[in-house]
Amino acid sequence: MFKYVLGRIGAMLLTLFLVMTLSFWVIRLMPMTIFENPEVSPEVQRRLEDRMHLHEPMIVQYYYFIEGIVTRGDFGTSVKIRPGLQVFDIIRERIPPTMLLNFFSLLISIPLGIISGTIAALKRNTWIDNVISFLIVIFISVPSFVFASLMQYVFAFMWPMFPTLYNAQAPSIWEAFHSMILPIVALSLNPIATIARYLRGELIETLSSEYMLLARTKGLTQQEATWRHAFRNSLVPIANTIIPLITGIMGGSLVIEKIFAVPGEGGLLVDSILGGDHFLTVALLIFYSLISLVTIFVVDVSYGIIDPRIRIGGGK
Amino acid sequence: MTVYDRNDLPEELLNLPDSEFEKAENDCSTDERFKTEPIGFYQDALRRLFHNRLSVISLCAILIIIVLSVAVPNMTGYGYTQQNVKQKNLPSKMPGLEQLGIFDGTRILTNIKKSSINDPKRYPEGCVLEILREYKAGRQEVVDVKVDYYRYCGVPEGEYHWMGTDYLGRDIMTRLFKGTRISLLIAALSVLTNLIIGIIYGSIAGYYGGRVDMFLTHLAEVLDGLPYIVVTILFMLWLGSGMLSIVLALTVTGWIGTARLTRAQFYRYKHREYVLAARTLGVPDRKLIFRHILPNTVGPLITRAMIAVPGAIFSESFLAYIGLGIKPPEPSIGILLSEGQKMLLQYPNQTFFPALLISIQMIAFNMLSNGLRDAMDPSRRGED
Repeated sequence: MFKYVLGRIGAMLLTLFLVMTLSFWVIRLMPMTIFENPEVSPEVQRRLEDRMHLHEPMIVQYYYFIEGIVTRGDFGTSVKIRPGLQVFDIIRERIPPTMLLNFFSLLISIPLGIISGTIAALKRNTWIDNVISFLIVIFISVPSFVFASLMQYVFAFMWPMFPTLYNAQAPSIWEAFHSMILPIVALSLNPIATIARYLRGELIETLSSEYMLLARTKGLTQQEATWRHAFRNSLVPIANTIIPLITGIMGGSLVIEKIFAVPGEGGLLVDSILGGDHFLTVALLIFYSLISLVTIFVVDVSYGIIDPRIRIGGGK
Repeated sequence: MTVYDRNDLPEELLNLPDSEFEKAENDCSTDERFKTEPIGFYQDALRRLFHNRLSVISLCAILIIIVLSVAVPNMTGYGYTQQNVKQKNLPSKMPGLEQLGIFDGTRILTNIKKSSINDPKRYPEGCVLEILREYKAGRQEVVDVKVDYYRYCGVPEGEYHWMGTDYLGRDIMTRLFKGTRISLLIAALSVLTNLIIGIIYGSIAGYYGGRVDMFLTHLAEVLDGLPYIVVTILFMLWLGSGMLSIVLALTVTGWIGTARLTRAQFYRYKHREYVLAARTLGVPDRKLIFRHILPNTVGPLITRAMIAVPGAIFSESFLAYIGLGIKPPEPSIGILLSEGQKMLLQYPNQTFFPALLISIQMIAFNMLSNGLRDAMDPSRRGED
């Protein structure tokens, strides 16, 4: 197990290095000016460019870039979106709204997904199952931005129950939460459906398995057997969908944040790319890669912990 | 029974006429024929697919959308970049349905000065259909009126924009189906390249095994760690937004799964006796891979490819939506939706139609791939 974890960490670091290198070269070799501001005098601009090593050869810049990240955690300075600010600070500033939204979405989607998936499996082939399965297909298929637009139109315009946009400067906590409800729901629909679909499939399979029959034979009631044997075993595979939700709590959804004007990471990424703020873009790409790598790692390792049967590298 | 020697037959037997002979009926020389048609795996899967009502409906919906996306942009009579600033933001008007009072090209204008209604320069003859409400705002007399928006904008009689026009006066239906065409094309291309690269990579890793496999699998693992959104953004920045970079981005992130699947199938089949037999007969590796082992993986690969299609369609519109996909004068459902989003509260029809189409498309593809997965499931062979 230890050797396996070490190997995974090695592969992760390699991937991360690949992301850094690729994003640096791709972005720097683009035919765009890194730094341009008509209000700054040429003298100041030259000195700023000097400080950012922009006159050095590319390979030297690359060295400074990697060295800055590895030794000082320095991702550079923003030049267009928030000129002069440390990129790291900008990203950190954007974390709370994203995290808050994702946290609430998590709080809704995991229990709802598990409950609806379980009900659908237990009431298999009844009208309840049909309704739930139909909703699952809808929520998985229809893109989140379509749902977001729809909800905005129906619940914020036709029947104005909620504000149209996210309001970060709301005077009271309740008002801030009130403006968060629509984005939270928009974020939750897909995870709910995904969890429910997986759980339904798993549960149906385990319910007809032989150990369930054994559990019934040894004298457990159907409910006890379902709860103690089928349900617990079905939860193992859906760790695959739940863990990314948990680790992804800091990386925001790109479209939902744009539609509801949430000042979070997703919107920042889109803005920095469209605005051409290279240092910020690179840092955000690394940030997103890190989240995804941690997710893959946690999923792999947790499989060994949750289910000892599939522990990899555990000998015979 | 007498036994005769063939070389020493008696005279009467040698001169027997042919008509005296009767064909020997031997029971073991002919097997009884099967009464039923033999059914192969794919035929069986296909039959199961067509027994599933939802799959058939989805298949029909997909075919209709494909036909529409090919036909409609040439039939509306408008170009997809053809602008007309005088006819911008028209509501939808469909022939036939207009008599029913829906999609009839009318719109309710609020807060209009009452005196201006009779001004034929601003409100051409006959465009005001109904005065809904009269009230006073301050000292002004204002009214809410229902107008025939087509006449109001001076659109000639008999000209229809089924789904209305956008903020530049471009026909939405033309743009919508042109965008659908592009997204279907991107989906098909990316899935195809995914399959080709994944199959070749997975076959090599799976067939040769050992060190080759180790190296290739680890390489794929490193690449697999790259999140899809990061890869896509890097491609967009590198090659500029457009079809090529979307296809490439979808390929780079998509082929690994295909390769993994192919590799697993190879591990399952490469030690079978029939492969050994073929190898003993001197069949070269290339032929063993593609002729003898690969056909076993076709079933799961078809299912996988089908599942990848809605994913590709979604990615394309998603990227276009956030401004990283197809470049704006070219239409894409994502672009239409994000343009519509800005006008959502005033002109919901600009969002409604693209949203409806992409939803139907996604649902149909997902249902079909679900049906296909069930139909291809080897454990359900012979059911129905």
